[in-house]
Amino acid sequence: MSALLRSLRDGRGFDGALALLALAYLFVFSAFPLIYNIALSFQEVDMFSLGDLIRPFVGLANYRTLMAAPEFWSVMGNTALFVGLCIVFQLGIGFGLALFFQQDFIGASYLRGLFLAAWIIPALVAGAIWKWIFAGDFGVLNYMLMSLGIVDERIFWLSTPAISLYSVVIANIWLGIPFNMILLSVGLAGIPKDMYEAAALDGAGAWGRFWHMTLPMMRSTLGAVVSLGIIFTLQQFDLFASLTQGGPANSSNVAQYWSWQLSFQNYDIATGSAVSVLMLGFVIVVAFLYVRSTREEHQA
Amino acid sequence: MKRYVLLVIALCFLAIYLFPLYWMYLTAFKPSSETFTYPPRFWPSDPQFNFAKVFVEKKMDTYLWNSLLVATGTTALAAFFGTGCAYALARVRSVWMDVVLFLILMMQVLPPSLMATPIFVLFNQVGLITTPRFAVILAQTAKVLPLYIVLCRTSFMQIPKELEEAARVDGASRVTAFFRIIVPLARNGILVTSVLIFLQSFGEYVYSRSLISQENLQTATVGLMNFMGPNTTDWNGIMTYAVIYVTPIVLVFMLLQRKIVSGLTAGALK
Repeated sequence: MSALLRSLRDGRGFDGALALLALAYLFVFSAFPLIYNIALSFQEVDMFSLGDLIRPFVGLANYRTLMAAPEFWSVMGNTALFVGLCIVFQLGIGFGLALFFQQDFIGASYLRGLFLAAWIIPALVAGAIWKWIFAGDFGVLNYMLMSLGIVDERIFWLSTPAISLYSVVIANIWLGIPFNMILLSVGLAGIPKDMYEAAALDGAGAWGRFWHMTLPMMRSTLGAVVSLGIIFTLQQFDLFASLTQGGPANSSNVAQYWSWQLSFQNYDIATGSAVSVLMLGFVIVVAFLYVRSTREEHQA
Repeated sequence: MKRYVLLVIALCFLAIYLFPLYWMYLTAFKPSSETFTYPPRFWPSDPQFNFAKVFVEKKMDTYLWNSLLVATGTTALAAFFGTGCAYALARVRSVWMDVVLFLILMMQVLPPSLMATPIFVLFNQVGLITTPRFAVILAQTAKVLPLYIVLCRTSFMQIPKELEEAARVDGASRVTAFFRIIVPLARNGILVTSVLIFLQSFGEYVYSRSLISQENLQTATVGLMNFMGPNTTDWNGIMTYAVIYVTPIVLVFMLLQRKIVSGLTAGALK
């Protein structure tokens, strides 16, 4: 016993104890709810059995209800579209800005950092601002588009079913650009400068250098940024809550918002947890691939 | 010459990008009659200062106090549970520590809106829901703890091992060396990470909305949502609320910008 105590206080046990402290917390408040969630999705849960320890087991019934729900496939489609569009544009615009700020001029790194001001504000506040910008009658976006002659009449960004999802996409791209840009800047800074000089001497043009040197050298960074992008995009909840609440008629609903709606607005906790299990499974697979790829990178 | 042209272009990009923030401040200062003029004005002709009025009418003192409480509690818990783990992960290289790091990284990615369902049912069963702000702190800590550990770990890795070994030769125990030598040396990294965690938790929404039912215990984000309502037109008021809420966050960020950016980038890609 005293040997154990001594090891804890003064030996290898000290590191282990410190690591276990945090791990224990995460187990109780993250891993256990995760497992509990899977159990919930196989049970019948309503407001009356909420406090019970043992609830009736219903097998796959919750999943069957879920698949049979008329909005299921459209919500899943929206989720895929939301993630895909956000990633493509965040990455494209972020990469462009990162390349631009890579050039040598006064205040480049300071100005680049200022972009993060948008990232640091609560997403819900960003949603409020965008809701006002998107407003149909007096919104500034419609005014700008109309005075530039891009559109002829007002667009009702948030209340038109065919457009509402794209409005949330626009707001989320805006939120995601700075993070993408900063991570890609770090990757760009890691490419040795003399390589470019050598290529320029050999007569490679700007486009050739980008295509044959920058892109291949950035492969691992791009992989990391895309995986992180998927993870963060699937965490987006506040923008949906403040902009469209999934509406009108689920036209802008995505899985992570739908799951919450089912549980906390329809009190259909069993189905909500079934959606949650499906999405968490997906996120964990993406995270697994991401973490494994960065680990390998590290050892190499 | 080329460098000045680039600077001007950079400023243009920044101006376009930060326009929504400008629009928020502008709307907050406009009189309500001017908010609904068409075409909209891009400069306030008659700036208003409705901050005190909105602050009192929307009970922002209660909301902001609750947000402050949640953010402070979360940061304290994350620092308590995370600092030691970050140190251990930076110092020891073994298969076990790799497993620990892997598990922590996996816990980082769980979307809070999906975790809200099981956490609500679980907290309901063990009675934590009767102390809702504490429940939010516990849930939010689980969300941010991995990030705290990953970011702090990089600053622990920069401390030379020899410093600790020297202290050990002089007779300090591991515990003493940790608190007297290591933590003071890493305090900059710990502070910046804590500020980042604090700012994130200050804007927390999902758990506050899901776990807190009494209005006087709710956070500033939920207050803003209530204010927005389904058919609101009081955009001056909403933007004034937003300005009051966001300005301290933006100020802290501007002061620590360089350190936050370098801390973030070091942690995220390693």
